[in-house]
Amino acid sequence: MEKIFNKNFCALTNEPIDVGSISRRLVPENCGAIVTLDGFVRRFTEGKETLYLVYEAYEEMALKEMQKLVETAHEKYDIEAVTIVHRLGKLQVGETSVVVAVAAPHRKAAFEACQWLIRELKRTVPIWKKEIYSDGEKWIEGESPQKLSSNYVSD
Amino acid sequence: MNKQIQVKVLFFGATAEITKIREINIEIPANMKAGELLNQMICKFPSLKNCSLLMAVNQEYANAEKMLEDRDEVAIFTPVSGG
Repeated sequence: MEKIFNKNFCALTNEPIDVGSISRRLVPENCGAIVTLDGFVRRFTEGKETLYLVYEAYEEMALKEMQKLVETAHEKYDIEAVTIVHRLGKLQVGETSVVVAVAAPHRKAAFEACQWLIRELKRTVPIWKKEIYSDGEKWIEGESPQKLSSNYVSD
Repeated sequence: MNKQIQVKVLFFGATAEITKIREINIEIPANMKAGELLNQMICKFPSLKNCSLLMAVNQEYANAEKMLEDRDEVAIFTPVSGG
């Protein structure tokens, strides 16, 4: 599932992600930098070993939320194009789970926008991660809703 | 008799595992709020109480006061953990 709008591109995929080709999907001629986050599956989290991960998404809503983030990033930062791709399904340790690539005329805006985008993605885009350990498994809950805006229902 | 409306309820991740349902169509009274539907689901699946819960209506985050309409798509899920 994917969405292209203006020079931006958001997608969810069950296939392995080729970070290099995502990063350089667009190389606009008025730009001089692309900052790319390659988020991948960590083996050890606070000492506990993860065997693999499973990601699941509310796909239609996830794409809408990703698009909103990209549009807001364009308002906040002097950037030219954003690409966000998130992997779904079963991922092995070391495999890329998310790529956020931001092209900008100058690197500072690209760094800042990339940092902002991944932080907001982790707070608002409806994707969930299940960690599988040798002795069990657990769906990970993100930030508690109290820390989010009052527009959210909390328990 | 009160008017009934039909809504689709979706569960994901932890909530889908608890309810063992991904998608269900249910009839509810017209003028029901999202929070009331959430409480109804918690009564039906008490283990949901162990989670923090968020809702979306028609693929937008919604608060408990959101009035539900016929054919709405309501999603119930835990705080997101992508990335």
